[in-house]
Order: sequence, then C-alpha cells, then structure tokens
Amino acid sequence: MTAFAPPVLKLTNVSRTFGKTKAVSNVSLTIAKGEVIGLTGENGAGKSTLLKILAGIERPDEGTMEINGKVANFRSPNDAFRAGVGVVHQEQSLFTNLSVAENIAYQKGSKTGLSRFGIKNWGQMNADAAAVLDKIGYKLDPRARVGDLSFVDRQMVEIARAVCVEPGENDTPLIILDEPTAVLEQAEVDVLEREILKLRKFASVIFVSHRLDEVLRICDRVVVMRHGVLTSDRSTKGVSRDDLFKAMVDDAPVIATRARAPLPEGAKPAIEVRGLTLEGKYKDFSFAAYPGRITALVGTNGSGRGALVRALFGAETYDAGSVLIDGQEVSGWSIRKAVAAGIAFVPAERKVEGMIGGYPGTRNIFLVHQKEAMIGPILHPGKMAGVAQTWFNKLDVNPNNIHQPLDQFSGGNQQKVVLSKWLNSADLKVLMLDHPLRGLDVGVCQAVNAQIRQACANGTAVILIPDTIEEALEMADEILVMRDGEISARYDLGVAGSLAIKDIVAEMV
Amino acid sequence: MTPSPTNTPTSPDLSRSDRGSAAMKNLRSYVPWHTAAPPMVFLAMLLVVGFFNPNYLGPFGISIVGATAAPILLVAVGQAMVLNIGSIDLSNAAISMLGAILMAILVPLIGPWGILGVLALMTVIGAINGAVLAYTQVPSFALTLGTLGILQTAALVISDSQTIYVSENREMVTVFYNATLAFMPLTFWIGVLVALVYWVVLRFTVLGQNMTAVGKNESGAIMSAVPHRRIKIITFAISGFTGAVAGLCIVAQAGSASASGIGSNLLLPGIAAALVGGTSISGGLTNPLNAIFGALTVAFVPIAIQALGFSPEAQSLVYGVFIILVVALTTTRARGLVIK
Repeated sequence: MTAFAPPVLKLTNVSRTFGKTKAVSNVSLTIAKGEVIGLTGENGAGKSTLLKILAGIERPDEGTMEINGKVANFRSPNDAFRAGVGVVHQEQSLFTNLSVAENIAYQKGSKTGLSRFGIKNWGQMNADAAAVLDKIGYKLDPRARVGDLSFVDRQMVEIARAVCVEPGENDTPLIILDEPTAVLEQAEVDVLEREILKLRKFASVIFVSHRLDEVLRICDRVVVMRHGVLTSDRSTKGVSRDDLFKAMVDDAPVIATRARAPLPEGAKPAIEVRGLTLEGKYKDFSFAAYPGRITALVGTNGSGRGALVRALFGAETYDAGSVLIDGQEVSGWSIRKAVAAGIAFVPAERKVEGMIGGYPGTRNIFLVHQKEAMIGPILHPGKMAGVAQTWFNKLDVNPNNIHQPLDQFSGGNQQKVVLSKWLNSADLKVLMLDHPLRGLDVGVCQAVNAQIRQACANGTAVILIPDTIEEALEMADEILVMRDGEISARYDLGVAGSLAIKDIVAEMV
Repeated sequence: MTPSPTNTPTSPDLSRSDRGSAAMKNLRSYVPWHTAAPPMVFLAMLLVVGFFNPNYLGPFGISIVGATAAPILLVAVGQAMVLNIGSIDLSNAAISMLGAILMAILVPLIGPWGILGVLALMTVIGAINGAVLAYTQVPSFALTLGTLGILQTAALVISDSQTIYVSENREMVTVFYNATLAFMPLTFWIGVLVALVYWVVLRFTVLGQNMTAVGKNESGAIMSAVPHRRIKIITFAISGFTGAVAGLCIVAQAGSASASGIGSNLLLPGIAAALVGGTSISGGLTNPLNAIFGALTVAFVPIAIQALGFSPEAQSLVYGVFIILVVALTTTRARGLVIK
C-alpha cells in the first residue's frame, strides 16, 4: 500500500455525440478505491451511453478516461475487461445450458484452465470458479447448471463473471451493475444488496438504479444525470429522495400542446380492463380507454406496462381478470380476435414484430386489412399500389417508392409504413403503441405524433407507452403511472391543469 | 467479364468499391436476376447439348425430358411452397409413392373415384403434417423425416413389396402419359398448370401473401394477425396434394407402382429443382413458374451428361458439381449473409 493511491476511475470532460444529440456532455467523475457510487437519472438521460463508454462499447468524442491512474483508450469491451472494468448488463447474458464454472471460464477466456491441450480441464475450471465465488463470498456449486438457478443466483454468476476482470497487481477492479434489481422480488433484492456491499472490500462499484431508496441505502455517493450532464454528485448522507428528484428532472411545468377536455359524462370505454393479473408482471390492473382520448402508461422498464399492452392485443396471456371491448367481456383472446375487434398495435421491436422487412410498402400495408384491394378472391395489385401510394404521400415516406423492400428504409420511414398499415382501416377502435418514437429523429417524431393525434380526433382510443414523460405530457389526456405492475397514480390532464415531471417520477420509483 | 473499372476512370470522385456496387445496382434494376436466371440456365444447357449432340433435341428427346421432369416438377412445386413459408417437407416424395400405389390398387376397383380419393387422402396427410408442425412446434425437418419413414413403411406394407399393376381401367391413368401436347406428355402440362395456379395464389391472393409473410418474418406476421397456424396447415396440405398428383404421373407413366420402382427417388431431385428454380431455402422467396425450369434442368442434366459423352462413372460427380454451380447462379443474394 502506497500512501497515494490513484482513483480507480477518473473521467475528465468526457462527451459523446450521436448526430445532433449530446448523449453525454462534459462529464467529469472520480471514484476512489472501495467506493460504491449510485448512478441515476431518467430514461434517456445518458446513463447507458456513459456505461458503454466505460465498458469499451462506445468511444468518447472528447475527454480523457483514467483507470487506476493509467490513461484508458478502450477499443473493445475486451480492452475494458483487461483494464479491470467488469460490467453486469441489464439483460442477463449467461449460457443457461452450461454450468456456473463454464460460464465463468468463458468470460475469463483462454488464460484460465478452460482447456488443456484443447480438452476441457474440468478440475481447473471448477477450482477457478470456486475461487471467484469465494472472493465475492457467495455460496454456489460451480457444477450447477445455470438454467436451474434462481434469478438472484444467476445475477450473482453475472457478478462473478464481472469480478474476473484482470487489472494490474495493485489495481482495483471497477464493477458496473446496470439495474441489477429491476426484475427482482423484494426478498431477492435484499440478498443482492448484501452481496453488493461485500464487493467494496476489493473493488469499486457503480450501481445504476431507478429505485432511489435502494441507491440511498447501498451507495456512499450518488451521481445524477440529466440530458447527458452530471447534475448532482454528492454523498448520500443527509440526502432525501426529493433532493434527488430535483436533480433528475426539469422543474418547469410542461405546456400542453393539445387542447384537452375532461371526459364527457356517460362516455363508453372502447376497451376496459378489470383486475388483470399476470404473475410477476402486473397485478389487479384496472383501467379504461375512451374514444378520442389518449391514455399514456408511464413507468420504468420493469413496471409491467409492456406486458400489459401485449396482453390487451392478445399477444400474451394473462392469469386473471377480464378484458371488455364495447362493454362485452372477451374470451379466448387472441391477436386475430383483437384485430377483428378493431384493435391495432405498433410494437416496440419494429424490425422483428412491426413489419415484414423483405416485403415492400404495399404488401406491408395490406397485411392486415385487405378489403379495399379485393376483387372477388383476387388481391388486386393496382388497387393495392393506389392505396399504398396515398399513404406514402400522406406521411411523406422517403424514398417514395412503394415497391422497395421495407428493410431498405430508415427506421422513421419504416415506422410511418407500420402506422399506415394499422391506420388503413375505417373502423379502428383502439390504437396501442409501444415506444412508437424509439430511435426516431425529431422530424419523424412529429409526423408520427401528428398521425396519432389524427387517429384520436377520428374517434380512436389511443393507449400509448411513451419513451419519456415529456412525450406523455405532450400527447396524453390521461396518464397512468405504473410501478411494479400496479397503478401508483392517475392524472387526468383535462382536469389537472399543469403537472410537473417530478411529481410523475416520484410515483415511478 | 466486364473491363476492370480502374482502366476507365469515368467518375473519379467515387471510390472503386462504390462504383462497383453502383454498377451492380444498375444491373439489378434492369434484370431481376433471380427471375431470369432459371430459364436462362435451362436454355443454355439446351444450346450446349444441341451444339454437341443435336440428336438429343428431337421430338423424342424432348418427350423424354418432359416425362422425367413431370413428377420432379410436381414434387418441386409443392416443396417450393413449403420452403416459401420457411419449412421443409421431406415426406412429399413418400406421399407420391404411397399415392401411386394406392391409385394402382384403387383405380381397377372404383375407377376415377380412386384417383380423386387418393388426392383427397394425401391432402389430408399433408394437412396433418402441417397441424402437428403448427401446434407442437416440432421442427418441420424432424417432423417430416418421421412422416417419411411412416409413409414408406405404409407403402411397403400396402404393396406387400410387390409391383402393383393397374389391371383394369388402365387407360384411365395411362392417358395422362400417352396423350401429348407439343411433344410433351400431359403429365408435364399438369405440372405446369399446377405451378401456374400456385404462382397466381402467391402473387394475387391474401393466402399467398400471408404464406410469404410467414416465410419472411414469422413473428412480424403473427403480430399482424396473420393466421400462421392455418397457413402452415394449408401449405403442407398443398404439398400433400401436389405429391399425390406426382403419384398420378408415376402411375400414368409406368402403368404400375411399387415402393422401389419409378419415382421412388424423387425427394432430393425435387428439392434440387426447387433450389435451381431460385427458391430460397431460408424462406420467403419462391417463384413456382421458375420451378418448372428448375425441374426441367434437373431432369435434363443426366441426359445432357450422357449426350456430352461423360463416362457413366462420372455422372454423379458431374451432376453434383452442376447443381452446386446452378444454385450459385440462380440464388438471390438479396437476403444478405444469412445462409441456412
């Protein structure tokens, strides 16, 4: 031990720009040995980009990064790993059909006892894994198959993998945990929190979480990001949740961009949900969506809103409760029935679920409602082209070529075609959109939002999962805030007047 | 070969690779290559054989090609429909075989009802294949491999491993082979008609649009309310039906059927013909009309090998090399790097 130990991490004025957005702007941050830092902020605040820079996935445009006093210029995740930065990503990335020891060995790569003369060295592998598990102080059989483990055990295997980083002799590893608790039950969270605290004996930790209580409990210091900038960096001692909100969100109330009226007396819901429950996702969920109104579901990624909307579309099942269309309870709900009942769904995974990439615009638009182009049993190409051309012109799709395969278009133009597909129906009752603006630039966002408002004005009930709270405030008549699968707050914007983002965030976390 | 672009620097601001891909793009916009290639390959082969050995291209030679191609064509068109939805049907040739045997047994007893009944039965067997695939999600390769074994055993048991002759009402089936149109037996034209109908289905009906959608992106199709299970059942039923028609061609040609006789080896030529016809093995791309040329090519290759004077020992080798070359030529590269 020397008297002067360099900080484990030192970021100086680091920036990263995508197109016109500064995802990370002038961030400076120092982490000392053994410190546990909480990193928090809204979706899109730049946390992920910052983590990617630390993990060697993205490279900063400006600024310098030092790990254990050495300038770090990562070209790949491997570089970061060798410098001592271990990351546990939000999505688990384990090989579920392999053993704990194998999973750990593959992370460490060739330098371990993975193989001897090309043959797996099981003894060495299991011993190595046992040593790592011993280091983090967690009891787990290295021979156990990862697929058989509980979720929290698997999370610990992820952490064990991250701990295998290879910093120099006297250097301290930096372990990054990206929302490790997002999908855990409370009892499991307690276990995980205890384990994370053990890491500080030999490592520094960055802990990313939306749950502020957790951050305040575990961390020594908390860092808040907003719009790519570090807005707060302070000790957790004497800090309250409210202080953190102020740093997380803009205080200014958002000006309504759409005339909103309170729900008229005696309006009948287009779709209603009573006590809908799916174990582990959402429970006892009730709400109604009315014609001509936009309902936004706001919450973190683990809040269960995605699964809920998919259940309404018949894409996933639910355990209990009922769905009512026009006051009639549905049974044996499926996508086919939902679409027949006039429900449309724009999924978040556009390329995988939203469209048929190899098909041109015409075919994509006529995938759902074909009546318009039918002559007897024949799907008439001329009529299809005519209607498709109208939509391409109306939404200004670029390139304006209805016969070009859709996977050759940009994301925004693809989304316009996906919307056309659903809007091309005279009796659209409910339009549900899961992150419709994800990855789109500002201009396209406005075009898409205009179409959503138009559909709403035509008497469609809209259920929206927005990317940001601003989007919800801009579009919605009613906002339902979801936390851990339950509604934590409802705001009727026709009545509420002005609403501050921080009030909504307070109900989310 | 086109001249090297470095010799003619027409647009100096473009890098070489840019210019190369731009030229490729131009070419693609004028010639939809995967549409034009299968007939061109077949015609080229005809020209080569005609040049070296014109005797093979007389009316008799053409009728032989047509007769050989007919069952391959039917099996290939059915296979193309299945490949188009992203599955594969390894049992369709066994369906042909069993269908041929059942027709040889039933036609002497109940006449035309024997033909219609077998067509219906094989359609149902195909539909069962599709239903098992749709509801149990056993991969189609494994599922139809199993069906293949079951149907082969059924064919052996039903025929008692004997050749079954159509003892009565013989002309009722042989007429499909003996009647000719433009030197080709009727069986070939039945195959062409079936291919034409399937082409219309794929291009101009909701059913066909849904089939291709399932082949291109099944999850996307499901989220657009495409009835994916029904599509699979119908497609495999079509494959079963087409296989039975191929069985009819076999009985018509031989006047008899056996589990090891003519047409017992249709599976791989059928797949080869579909691929030579430009069908993508990863799904979502096929043209039944080009499968006609695929079948003609596959049927003609052994004849061409003979005509060009290769030794009998080398025939399989030449055949193999040729099929690889032709598929390399006719396949579309629009789907990028994903090869299954």
